[in-house]
Amino acid sequence: MLLKFALRRLAGAVPLLLLVSVVVFALAKQMPGDGLGGGLNPGNKDPRYVAEMREKLGYDDPLPLQYFRWVKDAASGYFGQSFLFKMPVGELIGQRLPATLLLTVLSLLITYGSSLTLGMIAGRNPGRPVDRFILTASYVTYAVPTFIAAIFAIYIFAVVLNWVPLGGTVTAAASRGLWSSLGDRVVHALLPAAVLGMFNTAAYTQFLRGEIVENSGKNYVRTAVAKGISRSSVYNRHILRNSLLPLVTFLGMDIGGLLGGSVVIENLFSYPGIGTLFVAAVSGRDYAVMMAVTLMTGFMIVAGNIVADLLYGLLDPRIRAGYNGG
Amino acid sequence: MNNSKVIRAFAPLLLVVLLLSGCSGADTSDNRGVREPSSHVTATGGEPKAGGTVTYGFPSPFKGLFEPAFYEGEDDFHVLEFITEPLFTVTGDLTTAPGIATWEESADHKTFTFKIKQGIHWQNGAELTVEDWKFALEVIADPDYTGPRFYSVEMIQGAEAYHTGKAKQISGIQVIDPYTMKVTVTAARVNTIDNLWAYPMNKSYFAGVAVKDMPNSDQVRKAPIGIGPFKVKHIQPGEFVELTRFDDYYKGKPLLDGVLYKVFDDKLIASLFEQGGVDIEQAPRDAYESLKKLNNITLMQTPDLSYEYIGFKFGHWDGKAQQIVMDNPKFSDKRLRQAMYYALDRKGIIDAFSYGLGKLVETPISSKSWAKVPEDQINRYPYDQEKAKKLLDEAGYKDTDGDGLREDPKGTKFVIHFDGMVGGANDEPRTEAILQNWREVGLDVRLNGGALKEMNTFYTAVEEDDPSVELFNGVWGLSNDPDPSGLWRENDQWNYPRWSSEENERLIREGISLKAYDREYRKQVYYDWQKLINEEVPMIFVAERETITAVNKRLQGVKINTLSNIIEPYKWWVKDSE
Repeated sequence: MLLKFALRRLAGAVPLLLLVSVVVFALAKQMPGDGLGGGLNPGNKDPRYVAEMREKLGYDDPLPLQYFRWVKDAASGYFGQSFLFKMPVGELIGQRLPATLLLTVLSLLITYGSSLTLGMIAGRNPGRPVDRFILTASYVTYAVPTFIAAIFAIYIFAVVLNWVPLGGTVTAAASRGLWSSLGDRVVHALLPAAVLGMFNTAAYTQFLRGEIVENSGKNYVRTAVAKGISRSSVYNRHILRNSLLPLVTFLGMDIGGLLGGSVVIENLFSYPGIGTLFVAAVSGRDYAVMMAVTLMTGFMIVAGNIVADLLYGLLDPRIRAGYNGG
Repeated sequence: MNNSKVIRAFAPLLLVVLLLSGCSGADTSDNRGVREPSSHVTATGGEPKAGGTVTYGFPSPFKGLFEPAFYEGEDDFHVLEFITEPLFTVTGDLTTAPGIATWEESADHKTFTFKIKQGIHWQNGAELTVEDWKFALEVIADPDYTGPRFYSVEMIQGAEAYHTGKAKQISGIQVIDPYTMKVTVTAARVNTIDNLWAYPMNKSYFAGVAVKDMPNSDQVRKAPIGIGPFKVKHIQPGEFVELTRFDDYYKGKPLLDGVLYKVFDDKLIASLFEQGGVDIEQAPRDAYESLKKLNNITLMQTPDLSYEYIGFKFGHWDGKAQQIVMDNPKFSDKRLRQAMYYALDRKGIIDAFSYGLGKLVETPISSKSWAKVPEDQINRYPYDQEKAKKLLDEAGYKDTDGDGLREDPKGTKFVIHFDGMVGGANDEPRTEAILQNWREVGLDVRLNGGALKEMNTFYTAVEEDDPSVELFNGVWGLSNDPDPSGLWRENDQWNYPRWSSEENERLIREGISLKAYDREYRKQVYYDWQKLINEEVPMIFVAERETITAVNKRLQGVKINTLSNIIEPYKWWVKDSE
């Protein structure tokens, strides 16, 4: 049943992704310049070379034709050749993806780890100093724009204290092999991941606290307490489970952002992942890369939503029953 | 953003645009390593000694096309400067000179007999022969070649037929023995040697790789080899390249054990140098002030091979006829153009907004070039509001309705639109200052569309002669050879002002004529051409930009010039290697 549900949802995403691809393609092509003209790449300024390249790349063809050519290739799994990097887009994304995944997964761990802990502490002690402190801290964090937080974090932790490296995903000495250098890579991803997760941590902490405070006044809690179940057990099992539901929606969205990474954070931290690649692709008019990254992100958002729906069911049997119908 | 650099050379054409002040990575250089006693040398403390590694920084992720025939940006080129070398060198006045290869030119200037030094080794142990050079020329001329360098082989006899697939061989290339090769070109051109492709490509190393697969082959991406002083040890795509000493380098064993070429965000450059995380990097101008405060570095400065200009639109490009059409009379009065030149306080603007990092120039030939006209032979257009006003009065641009702004000679409102690019931090106030300069002499110059344009948008509008573009503030790179063809003739698509004249055409043709084989004659032609441009003012030349390279004091032996800051890196050494 669950599988069928997931598959049906995935199939429903295909037209959505197609629509996204049409919009992105049209918008990308609407941008002035094609990477060959202008001042972008002086080495390409031989008029004959520019003309030859435009022809080779099919830039002179009508837009719908260019689009269908792209769809045809994409359907067979080939996302084209990167104009900037002169290599297949799949390979290029494969190079950048591990770094981005590490960053986003780390950031999710930080976000959920700390917001669950802080939210539970605050929710169990409403009105006490510890709650006030957590609330104030999260309001402040929530109010600081990410790019400002990033600049401060870089300055304090990388420049003044020198605890973490400045930019990059790995140090030269430790770069052999993906697994053996994992520790070094985590150190590189730590600061950007923390800043990336900061905003959400603040938001989720407050959501969770609110839910816990609200739920603890409900009848089923009174019943449970009356039955003589210990206080911590009531909080950890009954209240927490019900309070997690709204967070699951966020988790869905966060999974959607896993591959897209964070364009802003990666660029601020000079962390070469998908986000920096995307920015380079847009300014260099690398259409193939732009299309592949947007589609990948779109796909992940759809997938994230499905995961969220499935998780709802796990937490709430009433929703699970709905899978059959909807 | 790489607030820096520009480009350089690009051969038969003087072409090469660049961005006003911004934008990352996509710069190109075809310069050949330079051998000249440079005045820009770091102070030497003590005797050179071997050992140690240094970090060379670059501000944007490299693309990883580590083969001279294929690379496109400066990002990849810097790595190539460490690992390989061209067969010719370029001297300080931008003349191409013999290096690994020497040549004899036939009397009709069409056949060159090249001899290369024996005993030069590739980093895989093979000896360098002319076959490797021939191979590079064939790769570039191949029908499947997708890089931008065909211009550098197209003068060879038979290259065109090879390129279109009509011939199996390039008829103009003839190998005599492993160290001797004869190249025949289609016509006598005074700058043949300057334009000819000079990087060898290891033929046996690329055996079995089709030309169309080369850009993405392991030979280019993962384990590139060259004949230079450092070899590649490990490449982390987009992040760093580890280079180690190549002991069999033909000029001698390098002093350093290795070089780490690493990508850094140049917004952090001052902190990086302070921490010692980077030893040498070309710094963005915006970091100049903060770098000057550091006492563990030396700042080296040199004019870039590029100039900033403000162009006037005289017409449009006729794509069918492949020719410019001068049909826009707006700036046809020379006095108006000259007045706008005089009205501009170029020095003040550079001092206020570019930290003084610019050298005022009035002609489009590098101030380092042998062909640069002496300053006392041209009008330097010093900042002079009175002179500007007088010229405008003479030309009939007078304020007839008393609003403080001049009307055109017919008495109608005269508004000029100005375009520029967004890039560096100061670009907006800087543009405002430029416009204010003109307003002060009564010219109503406004920012087209109310804002600076993003670079692609700017160049698209300029290139397509958008009717709203009238005055445009751009940057051009220069090639080593002073021939202005490619940018300045009536059939040049990149002649953005769409300006030319009979005299202009004549002089440019004369500069590459047979008579121009006499260096003194050629020099005089270019002096005359620069005087013509100086008088006609088809564009206002603002300045040649100065680039700065910051070098940690522990790194010794660094020289820089207009072309590069990686000159003879085998002589680099560190003072106290840890």
